[in-house]
Amino acid sequence: MIGSLSHHSGRSALALGAFYLLLATPIARDWLEASMSRHMLVQMPLLVVIGIIAARLVPVRVQDSLLIRFGGAWPCVIAAMFASSYWMLPRALDAALTDPWAEVAKFITLPFLVGFPLVLAWRRLTLIGRGFVWTNFFSMLAVLGWLYIVAPVRVCNSYLVNDQENAGWYMVIASVLLFFWWLGTLLVGGGVGPDKPDQGGSGGTFA
Amino acid sequence: MATYTYTPVPDQGAKAGVLAYLVVSCVVLLLMMLFGLLMRMEQAQMISIGALWFYKIMTLHGAGMVGIVALAGAAIMWHFLRQYVDLSTGIFMANLILFLTGVVMILASVLLGDFHAAWTFLFPLPSTSMGMWSPGAAALFMGGLLVIGVGFVLLHLDIARAIISRYGGLGRGLGWPQLFGPDDGNAPPPAVVASTMVTIVNLVGLVAGASILVMMLVNLYVPSFEIDPLLAKGMIYFFGHVFINAVIYMAVIAVYEILPRYTQRPWKSNKVFLASWTASTIMVMFIFPHHLLMDYAFPKWFLIMGHIIGYLNTFPILIVTGYGAMMIVYRSGIRWDMCSRLLFVSLFGWAVGAMPAFIDGTITVNYVMHNTLWVPGHFHTYLLLGMVAMVFGFMYYLTKPNENAPDSALDIAAFWGFVIGTLGFTMSFLYSGKISAPRRYAEHLPEWVPYDKIASYFVILLIASVLVFIFRFLTRLGLASRDYQRASLARSMAT
Ligand code: HEM
Repeated sequence: MIGSLSHHSGRSALALGAFYLLLATPIARDWLEASMSRHMLVQMPLLVVIGIIAARLVPVRVQDSLLIRFGGAWPCVIAAMFASSYWMLPRALDAALTDPWAEVAKFITLPFLVGFPLVLAWRRLTLIGRGFVWTNFFSMLAVLGWLYIVAPVRVCNSYLVNDQENAGWYMVIASVLLFFWWLGTLLVGGGVGPDKPDQGGSGGTFA
Repeated sequence: MATYTYTPVPDQGAKAGVLAYLVVSCVVLLLMMLFGLLMRMEQAQMISIGALWFYKIMTLHGAGMVGIVALAGAAIMWHFLRQYVDLSTGIFMANLILFLTGVVMILASVLLGDFHAAWTFLFPLPSTSMGMWSPGAAALFMGGLLVIGVGFVLLHLDIARAIISRYGGLGRGLGWPQLFGPDDGNAPPPAVVASTMVTIVNLVGLVAGASILVMMLVNLYVPSFEIDPLLAKGMIYFFGHVFINAVIYMAVIAVYEILPRYTQRPWKSNKVFLASWTASTIMVMFIFPHHLLMDYAFPKWFLIMGHIIGYLNTFPILIVTGYGAMMIVYRSGIRWDMCSRLLFVSLFGWAVGAMPAFIDGTITVNYVMHNTLWVPGHFHTYLLLGMVAMVFGFMYYLTKPNENAPDSALDIAAFWGFVIGTLGFTMSFLYSGKISAPRRYAEHLPEWVPYDKIASYFVILLIASVLVFIFRFLTRLGLASRDYQRASLARSMAT
């Protein structure tokens, strides 16, 4: 059982690594970073998702000891909030396009400072903590979208104003859709936390 | 078809946290009522405090009343819900602390910073004060609302957590398996159904409210980030209307829980009951456009939706609750004491108060009546004689010395003073609305003044009665935390 599990997770890890590298290829980067919407709303979330999946491939025991090493659930959440907020700044986007080191930083921090710690923390959080993270995320995503829509100036040197406006609208729409998805999970009984080890304890719930 | 029988449950005393909520509610409620009296006397030209103070007081009164009835409603909900699910006392107290922090911010903004753009903080008024208040004062006010909102988000998340853990989902909390499938009689009790509904709608409302507050805060300091005023108004009214509506849905839990204890008849969570709560969960979120009927720039379908849903949502819960209460009381030989009287009259107040809104929700009427005193006439009726009566009923219940304790003549006089005072006060609002006196005017034309005067006398009667209620509650506070039988059993039951 354990053997087959690790075999299975070994293959998943390989696939995940391949996907990570694929995202890092110049072709994928060029295409995803050519528009602001794809950059912010496809590439960056995918990097976070890679971190999330990576964390869930780590054995629960290791996750737990990492969580203790990092000081518990809330420090992890706060680290994730700061790291993700940074990449919402227009100048961070610009830097990622012009400065290779910033691009490298983006590829490292989004998976490992956002996705990974969130998974570690998630299992320990109850609906109060999770809901706080979610509701804060929804309202801030919507507000950020609005900022991009109404900004009187072009906020990124690298993208056009209409691209910025589109990205803003997508953020507003995404925030509304995600909010209703989250409410839906509550209606059917998800997301209460904390997840017990005997209930698929690898942080299996997103909500 | 499920059958229902009443299973007697002991009357539990209130936790210290619930009592803290109620004591704060008494103090703030009284203060805000006195502010209300000052406004009415200013309009009646009995005193002269000037327009600045009128609007400062109006801002405090609006924000303070909405906040405090929400707090009192939350206390009722928490007290009873706790008996079914496992709630966190820490979160409950955190909400109180955040609330008081927000109140201090709002008081400072209005009293020290002269902010007076009304509790609705309608865009772009807070940022266009023409020198009457600073951006800092406006930011403090909106920041205070935000802090209060965060507290309520936490409280509702805890309630959601507890209901999901116990029943397996908010859908089950609303009794959906019993509503859409065969009714096996295992639907959650009314207190749980109501709390689930309030939690869903308030979470949606508060997230929208927090978003618009942050947007307005950004705009306050960087005006070039423009806000579409119609969008802002839509979001503010969505949030404000959901929040103030939810208040009565929290308080009505007192009726569901306490009246059955008097007559030993169960309050049934049957299909009709469940259907009405589920329907209202959705409708409460789409009813707010009835505040926007005069904004012709909104799309037509939006306003028509407000009109239709406004009509529809007036009824389900109100009828189900009114009818349910009649069934509980009818020929039960119920013994009337202060608690059962106040709870029963609260349903009358709710029903009577809903009618003017129903009328005003009609587009053609709305063009003439909206923004007149008709509207305060509506919401003061259902909030005072409905919601606030439930809160005082709950307080009398908690502090009733024993099952058979008689009420003193003073209390009974105060009950009638409260009913008559409120009706006199709100009828004058409604009548002033009928003769087209606008709302939110510090100064009234001579033709309107007589009604303002009459109203002021009724308000004095009302406040005197409330003083009796509060005095009773505070002097008997020691009883409130004990567990003992409080409800007097109906004569048909008593041995
Ligand atoms: C003794 C009781 C009360 C008195 C004398 C009173 C009096 C008043 C007066 C005179 C106004 C201004 C009307 C106008 O000219 O536009 C007002 C507005 C208002 N009152 Fe009351 N009130 C009382 C209780 C309550 C209660 C229990 C609530 C509960 C929520 C409440 C909520 C409000 C709100 C939301 C407004 C609107 C403020 C605005 O227009 O911005 N009041 N009240």
